[in-house]
Amino acid sequence: MNTTARNAAPPLLSRIRFRDAGTVLGLILICAIFTVLTPTFLTVPNLLNILQQSSINACIALGMTLVIISGGIDLSVGPVAALSAVLGAAMMVAGVPVPLAILAAIAIGVACGFLNGALIAWGGLQPFIVTLGGLSLYRALALIYTGGTPIFGLPAEFRAFTNGNMMGIPNPVLIVAVLAVSAWVVLNKTPLGEYFMAVGGNPEAARVAGVPVTLTKLSAYMISGAMASVAALILIGRLGAAEPTLGTLWELDAIAAAAIGGASLMGGRGSVFGTLIGCIILGALRNGLTLMNVQAFYQLLATGIIIIVAMLIDRATSGKQG
Amino acid sequence: MLSMRQAQLPKVDPLMTPRLSLNGIVKSFGPITVLHGVSLTVAPGEVHGLLGENGAGKSTLLNILSGVLHPTAGSIEIDGKTASIHSPRDASAAGIAMIHQELQQVPELTVAQNIFLGASLRRMGPLFTDARAQEIEARRLLADLDPGIDVTAKVKTLRVAQRQIVEIAKALRANARLIAMDEPTSSLTPAEFERLTEVIRGLTARGVSIIYVSHKMDEVFRLCTSATIMRDGRLVDRVELPKTPVEKVIEMMVGRELAHAAHRSFATNRVVMRVKGLTRGNAVRDASLTLHAGEVLGIAGLVGSGRTELLRLIAGVDAAEAGTVEVEGKPIPGHSPLTRIRAGLGLVPEERKRDGIIRHRPITSNVGLAAMHHFSRFGLIQKTALRRRTEELMQEVGLRPFDVTRPIGSFSGGNQQKAIIGRWLAANTRIFLFDEPTRGIDVGAKAEIYDLIEKLASEGCAAIVVSSELTEVIRLSDRVLVMREGRISADLGPGEISEAAIARAAIPAT
Repeated sequence: MNTTARNAAPPLLSRIRFRDAGTVLGLILICAIFTVLTPTFLTVPNLLNILQQSSINACIALGMTLVIISGGIDLSVGPVAALSAVLGAAMMVAGVPVPLAILAAIAIGVACGFLNGALIAWGGLQPFIVTLGGLSLYRALALIYTGGTPIFGLPAEFRAFTNGNMMGIPNPVLIVAVLAVSAWVVLNKTPLGEYFMAVGGNPEAARVAGVPVTLTKLSAYMISGAMASVAALILIGRLGAAEPTLGTLWELDAIAAAAIGGASLMGGRGSVFGTLIGCIILGALRNGLTLMNVQAFYQLLATGIIIIVAMLIDRATSGKQG
Repeated sequence: MLSMRQAQLPKVDPLMTPRLSLNGIVKSFGPITVLHGVSLTVAPGEVHGLLGENGAGKSTLLNILSGVLHPTAGSIEIDGKTASIHSPRDASAAGIAMIHQELQQVPELTVAQNIFLGASLRRMGPLFTDARAQEIEARRLLADLDPGIDVTAKVKTLRVAQRQIVEIAKALRANARLIAMDEPTSSLTPAEFERLTEVIRGLTARGVSIIYVSHKMDEVFRLCTSATIMRDGRLVDRVELPKTPVEKVIEMMVGRELAHAAHRSFATNRVVMRVKGLTRGNAVRDASLTLHAGEVLGIAGLVGSGRTELLRLIAGVDAAEAGTVEVEGKPIPGHSPLTRIRAGLGLVPEERKRDGIIRHRPITSNVGLAAMHHFSRFGLIQKTALRRRTEELMQEVGLRPFDVTRPIGSFSGGNQQKAIIGRWLAANTRIFLFDEPTRGIDVGAKAEIYDLIEKLASEGCAAIVVSSELTEVIRLSDRVLVMREGRISADLGPGEISEAAIARAAIPAT
C-alpha cells in the first residue's frame, strides 16, 4: 500500500524540480541558437566571460530570491550597492586595510537591509513602497556623500583580488559560486529557509505555527543588503572606481532573473538554482546579441520578450493559482 | 447500491414544471470527487430543505447553483429550461439568488446602495448613480419584508437579522425566483426566526421557491415541505417532510457510525491550565476557565458569541487587553503564539487555508514547522530525522494518501487537519486548542478526528474544542462552556450536558 501511494506522482513537488529543468532547457535552447549563429559563442573564454558578466546580477538576484520567497521585494538593491561602494572605496582610499574596508562595506549593506526590514516587519509597511523609498534614500546618501563625483584610486591589491582568477576561473565567478551554495544551504537545509518559505507562502499560518515572522523578514532584507554590497565590491574592483550612480536598474535585472528561475512574486516559492540559471540566461542573451552586433535597443527588446515568455510558460504549466 | 440510489430520482407532481431541477450533478477537483451525481428538484413556491452534515457537499452544490463552481457533469434546469450557469452573473440572470451564512455586503454602504450593488440605477444616461430612485425602490422592496429598516442607514449599523432581510430585498430586486439560504438562522434569536418565517411565507405566497439549508431540525420541519438529504457528497434520499419522522431524517444525515459512538472520558483532577479574566473589546469579556489533564472541554455558543475569539486569545494569536493564561501553575508572559507554543499550547485553527497550512510546502515542512529546533543540529535541519518522525506521526493519524513529500495543498481537508494535528504532536504540545475541528471535513475523516482527540485525551493531553455542531460538542466533551455575547454563560458538567441546556445558555435574553 505504501509503495502504491508513493507511485502516485507527487504533482506539485515534482513540478518544482520540473520547473528548474525547464529553466535549464531554456538556457540550452538560447545557447544552441547562438552557437549556430556565431562561431565565437561556444568557446571557453566566451563562456567564462558570460559567467563573469552575470556574476554581479547573480549576487543581487540571490538575495532578491530569498526576499521574494519570503513574500517581499527589494527595490533598493542598486542604491544600497552604490552607497556601500562609495563608502567602502572612500575607506580604502583613506588607507583603511582592505579586508576591514570590505567588511565595513558589507556591514553598510546589512544596515540598509535592516532599515528596510524593520520598516516592513515592525512598521507593517508594504515592501514595495518601503524599498521604493529606500531606492531614493540610499541613492541620495551616496550622491550627497560624494558630491556626485566618482571615487578613484582603489588599492591595487583589492583590484588584483576582484580581477584575479583561480585555475582560470575568474574570482567573481568563484565568489558567486560560494554565495550560491550558501544561499542554497540556507534555503533548503536550515530552519531559516523553511521560515522564508512559510512566511512567504502564508504569513498568518506561519505566525500561528510559532514561526518568528518578524525576524525572518528582517533576515531576508539584511541578506539582500549584504549581497548588494558584495556585488558593488565586485564592480568597483573591476572598474577601479566607485561611482555614486552605479547600480541603476540592478533591481529589475535581479527580479527578472529570479522570476525566470521560477520565484513566485506572490511569495513562498523559488529556487536558488533556478535564479542562477535565470542570471546566466540574461547574461548569455546579451553576450550573444553583442557578438552578433545587434544594436543595444534590440537587446533590451529581447530581454523583455524572454521575461514575458518565461512567465507565460510558467503560467501554462502551473495551473491557475500563482 | 449507489446506482440504485441515483436511479430512484425524486418524484415530482407531473403537472407542475419544477422551478429548479438539478440532474445528476457531479463535481470533481482533480482526482477527488466531492459530488457523486446529486439530483434535486424544487417546486414553485416551495420551501425545500437541503440537509446534511458539514462536508456532505451542500456548500459545493450551492456554489454550483450560484455559478461559483462549474459541475463536472450533470445539468441544471430552471422552469423546465436548461440553464447554462457559468458565473454568478448567469445565476442571477436565471433568477437564482444566494444568501450566504456570512452575508456578502459592503458594511460601509447604505442599505439602498447594497441592494443595488452591481446594478445601480442611473440618470443622465450611464453617467451618474440615481441615489434617490434607488432609495425609493429599496423602500418599496422592503415594505413587505421589514418596513422598519432605514434604507439610508449604513449596513454596518444593522443587526444580523436585518441585514439578512436586506439580502432578501436584494434578491427580489434581481427578480429572483429561487432563493437559496445557507444556515440563515445560525445567529438569530428565536424572535428573529419567527420574523424570518413570516418573510419566507410571504415569499412563497408570491411563488418564490426557497432552498433552506440548516442543521436545526425543528426549523426545517416547520418551514419545509420536502427535503433532500446528502451525505458524503451523495444523495441519500428525498423526503416529504411533515410525514417523515425526525429520527429517520437524522439517521439519514449522520449515518450510523457517528450517531451511536458514545463519549469516553479520560479527565483527571490535575489542573494543567488556568485562564483568568481574558478580555478583548466586546468580543470576549472576562472569560475564565480551568482545564485538567486528559480533559476535553467543549465551548458552544452562537456564531459571534466569542468562542473563536477566546480560543485565539488563549493561543496568543490575538492579544488580550486583560487577563492571564497560566500553564502548570506558571503565567505565560506576552501574547505571541511562540511563547504559548513553548508552554505546550497549540491552535488547530478553523480557517485551515488562512491560518493553518503552507499550501505549497510538503507535509514534512508543515508538520515540522513549529518544532524546527527539535529537528535541527548545528543550524541544519536533519531531513532524515524530520521525515522519519513525520512518517511516524502521519501513520498514527492515518494520512491518506501516505506520502509526506507531497505538498499539503494537494490533500483533502481532513488530511490537512491530520497534518496540522501532527504539527503539534511533533512540537510535544500538551494542550490542544481545536477551533471547529471538523469543518469542511468529510464524514469518514470526521470520525477519525474524533478518535484522535479521544486518543490525545487518553494519553493525558488536554483539549478545548470549539464547535457550532451541538452533536459534536456533546460527543467529544467532558465539560461544556457555553458563551453568549462574549461571556461564559454556563459551565455544564458531566450529566448536565444536553442540547436543550446548551441552547438555553446560548441564546440571549430578549
